Amino acid sequence: MGDVTLEHVSKHYDDVTAVDDMNLDIEDGEFICLVGPSGCGKSTTMEMIAGLTIPSEGKVFIGDREVTNLPPKDRGVAMVFQNIALFPHMDVYDNISFGLRLRNYDKEEIERRVERAAEIVQLQGMLERMPDEMSGGQRQRVAIARAIVRNPDVFLMDEPLANLDAKLRVHMRTELQRLHKELDTTIIYVTHDQAEAMTMSDRIAVIDSGQLQQIDPPLVCYNEPANLFVAGFIGSPSMNFLDGEVTEDGFVSTNIDVEFDPANLGIEAGTDVTMGIRPEDVYLVGDEALVSNPSHRIEAVTDVLEPMGDEIFVYLKLSESAETDLEDTSGVANDQLLMSVAPDTDIEEDEDVTVVLDRSRVHLFDTATGEAISHGIETPVQTSGAPGTEAESDD
Amino acid sequence: MSNETQGAGIGSADADMKRGPLGRWVDSAIKNPDKVYRAMFYVAMLFFLVTTLFPFYWLLVLALTPNNLIANMGLVPKGFNPEVFIAMFDRVPFHLYMFNSFVLGITTTVLVLLIASLAGYVFGRLRFPGKGVLMLGILAISYFPPAAFLIPLFELFTGNTAISIGMVTISTPDLFNTPAPMVFPFSALFLPLSIFILTTFYGQIPDGLEDAARVEGTTRLGALFRVIVPLSAPGVATAGVLTFISVYNEFFFSFLMNNGEADSWAPIVAGILKYQGQFDTPYNLMAAASIVGVLPVAILVIIAQERIVSGLTAGALKE
Repeated sequence: MGDVTLEHVSKHYDDVTAVDDMNLDIEDGEFICLVGPSGCGKSTTMEMIAGLTIPSEGKVFIGDREVTNLPPKDRGVAMVFQNIALFPHMDVYDNISFGLRLRNYDKEEIERRVERAAEIVQLQGMLERMPDEMSGGQRQRVAIARAIVRNPDVFLMDEPLANLDAKLRVHMRTELQRLHKELDTTIIYVTHDQAEAMTMSDRIAVIDSGQLQQIDPPLVCYNEPANLFVAGFIGSPSMNFLDGEVTEDGFVSTNIDVEFDPANLGIEAGTDVTMGIRPEDVYLVGDEALVSNPSHRIEAVTDVLEPMGDEIFVYLKLSESAETDLEDTSGVANDQLLMSVAPDTDIEEDEDVTVVLDRSRVHLFDTATGEAISHGIETPVQTSGAPGTEAESDD
Repeated sequence: MSNETQGAGIGSADADMKRGPLGRWVDSAIKNPDKVYRAMFYVAMLFFLVTTLFPFYWLLVLALTPNNLIANMGLVPKGFNPEVFIAMFDRVPFHLYMFNSFVLGITTTVLVLLIASLAGYVFGRLRFPGKGVLMLGILAISYFPPAAFLIPLFELFTGNTAISIGMVTISTPDLFNTPAPMVFPFSALFLPLSIFILTTFYGQIPDGLEDAARVEGTTRLGALFRVIVPLSAPGVATAGVLTFISVYNEFFFSFLMNNGEADSWAPIVAGILKYQGQFDTPYNLMAAASIVGVLPVAILVIIAQERIVSGLTAGALKE
């Protein structure tokens, strides 16, 4: 009933392509998050599913009906908007029952359904209030009640929590998950907050420049990003990227080399690659026991420390001239590395440290296309058992 | 501190001079500029009050003075004859003329609000090529003098215009003495103002509300009338009241598109002129009728003035 399919959907405005050849297959009952930076086309994609925007090309299906050119009211969808969009001239009861009244349900049925919806979102006793007499969280719950009261096939949520304060946002997040469990309806959820996407969804669809980059369960997107964009977008703080080249011996960059046999990964020597490694996969020497498959040792100097409470982010300088750019942690920086360590670690600024990378968590991307080549690198045969010796001989 | 000493200085230096009351007032006004502003406010107020209220007072003086005594009128009535307000209904069925005016006003207002709402929605909420030019066109048309349309419209509405299509000649219907030849030109003339007012108001309603209504089950038109119009109530009220008053006060088409009889949809203007007989001109009755005719609009404005002011200025501020 509630499966949604987009076939080669595109939306062009005068000279801008908002959505470019999007193919999506969303199953009934799934909780899908569309994530991406501002202006990537995720809201346009949602509007095309809702019918508020008509695609320039392609087809949209809900259930087994083609709905590409149907008006929103005939699609069996309900939507929760970023700005909540309650009708300010109606009280809560009238807001929730708006859609039912338009469809000429009889009075008792409307009353029964509104009561039920109010119960689900815990709004009992507030049905007489006007929207401007309610708090942000209450209004958001009214908007959700208005959406669920019609038993839609598909819920569309366009950054519904973006305007709430941080604490309320976390609370509403769990409420939405509970709601999804209770209703078992397809939910398509747009957000630019990857934490929301990671925690709530069955699958994440990462969108950039109007194109679908990857659609997979959250952990797959996190552990096996399909390309550089997904790798950089999912995870906070972002993955470290280092530009380098593949030689006969493995990956070579200005400050860090990782040995492997390129033939095993099917890469030709001479290819430009970008290596990615998440902050939590960089380990201080001494914690090596935690890593089953460490790389050789890397000498570095600590720069800035960011204690977060449950962990400390350490900016490492790989060369003398390196400068930590706190603003730009997503881009490629060959002379610095971000590391996360346990909160009780004894570490200070401007301290010489030695670190290793978890080879099984090293990602390699083709620099030219951005496509992932490999997630994790096997221990090369000839240097096995002696990690670190290479690095020392380098010095 | 320094002000005080300076003030004392002026006072002591001027103390020798002998001053009249005006001189003293000027002296205190120089020290107190607020006093001057207040005085200017009263002068301006008085000027406007006199120019707007004096005609009413004069009408009242005329109405209360028996007709045979109306000559060389001063500022006070030369008699007291309140029965004139009853007599005016005996001589001419003035209530019927007022009824006609109301019907014309309300019909036009409804028609204007309906069309201006649709136009306001399009201009205020949609993006399309040529919007600016169209808007400018409406503005331009609103400045055309109505007199320029009179003769063609008169010919059209009195059935003197015919179109030949092949063998068939279709002549326009004769609508003289019906409300149509007044309501249509009124609507066209007063539409631009309403379109401008409603465009501003409808343009300010957030897109999300319209989207929400459409997802909930309305068409675009449904969203307009269920959500956008109710939320723009001050704007709609302003446009409606201004249109109604304009129609109620209109003279040109009201006078020329009917034969001046109450059963020919002639409005108040014709009613007042109707008092003038072949052998007498009862100024007192005409004055009384004028007062009675103005009353409904005066009441409407007093009730709606707050809305009108907020409506006319609301567009000026973007939230």
